Amino acid sequence: MIKITPDEIKLLSKYIYDISGISLDQTKTYLFETRLGPLLEEEGLSSYSELYNKARTDPAKAIERKIVDAISTNETLFFRDRGPFEVLQHKILPDLIDARSAKSSGRLSIPIRIWSAACSTGQEIYSIAIILKELLPDMSKYNIRLLGTDISDAAIAQASQGVYNKFEIERGLPPDILHKYFSPNSGNWKVKDEIRAMAVFRKLNLMLPFQALGKFDIVFCRNVAIYFNMEDRKRLFERIADILEPDGYLIIGSTESLTGVCPKFEPHRHIRSIYYQLKKSKGDKP
Amino acid sequence: MSALRILVVDDDPVTRELVIKKLRQADYDEVETAENGVMAADLIKKDYYDVVLTDLMMPGGVDGIGVLEAAKQKSNRTEVIVMTAFGSIENAVEAMKKGAADYLQKPLNFDELFIKLTKINNMKRLMEDAGDLREAMDITEKNASQTIQELEMTVSRLQDEMSAIRQILSKADVDAETRINMALEALTLR
Repeated sequence: MIKITPDEIKLLSKYIYDISGISLDQTKTYLFETRLGPLLEEEGLSSYSELYNKARTDPAKAIERKIVDAISTNETLFFRDRGPFEVLQHKILPDLIDARSAKSSGRLSIPIRIWSAACSTGQEIYSIAIILKELLPDMSKYNIRLLGTDISDAAIAQASQGVYNKFEIERGLPPDILHKYFSPNSGNWKVKDEIRAMAVFRKLNLMLPFQALGKFDIVFCRNVAIYFNMEDRKRLFERIADILEPDGYLIIGSTESLTGVCPKFEPHRHIRSIYYQLKKSKGDKP
Repeated sequence: MSALRILVVDDDPVTRELVIKKLRQADYDEVETAENGVMAADLIKKDYYDVVLTDLMMPGGVDGIGVLEAAKQKSNRTEVIVMTAFGSIENAVEAMKKGAADYLQKPLNFDELFIKLTKINNMKRLMEDAGDLREAMDITEKNASQTIQELEMTVSRLQDEMSAIRQILSKADVDAETRINMALEALTLR
């Protein structure tokens, strides 16, 4: 495998930060080599400087996309860390539906808008869709919008196809749920149309403005801000606060914290997990 | 001795006996047989098998595809190898679309079967190792998350307390001693 030099690490760290906001630890030489090494081989390049130069000068940005795909961590699984999904199922959705039902007075379908901000290959958003299906017997009463976004084209493409191999499927999915919501597909498993149709996927760099996405009732932003520096992390959660409904919910990774990151949010505990809501200003109704 | 637990399903007693004999000779000791799909489905319901080696065409209510479906329904970890008569590969392809790991044509080439079983065994070990690592990681993550969440709630509570005390201490219309007493009282109440 071709070795990366300290100067190349500096060069590529800055470049990767500029295109994705991902702040890589420059001491982790192995991370650059294991993630970008195969790309070097694929492109027939002999050094990381060449990769950098080719990426910078490629007007079609194909190399840039491949670098983002390679570097963005796609570690995910169905129902990863059960806590947030239990909170969603047993606390957040019932409370949200109560609140929205009261507002709609039974005349309109009840809107539920959920955003998986770094959806990777789609397991999180499909897990949410499965919970909604299991929890809500009459889906026609609800106007559900599930949006999954990710910076990686490859991740979004797989999420959109909804096809997973047996290793991806085995991690986290109980057999009854697997057979209920997935179909065998040439040795893989494909999410059934009823679940696939609930979600929309699109590419999004969280460093760029996203107000145009509209407002959301629930935002999942798990295990992505850890790759950003503190200033970018602060800006990200400030902007998430702006697109969240005043009584909306934010779920972050179970080992993440918003202390010192975004004072607009306050934590609430439910059983073993924490979710966040916007702090109420003094004039707000309880 | 191999760690694989194997179920051989075939309505032809000669094939069954031959497969069992060859598997035992190759140190695959945990082998059971079923003479039809119904019996196989019953056994699969009761027990876990790493590999189900099944004929595709069998009389009765459950054919090889039915056995495949029963195995996958029980556990996605069970690998199914289908045996098919020479010249009917399209059936095997259909089975693979439905989740079979591989297929063998009859008459069986046992070297081919052993290669497939070795692959499955190696994959099983890798999966077990990965599972162990994942479990260790989950435990570490769970412990870390509990600590972080405790801290998060504590910091939030302390921030609220500080804010309340700041408000009390900044009351311009109350003398200093009363403000301190009020602040101390607020702290005691919490």
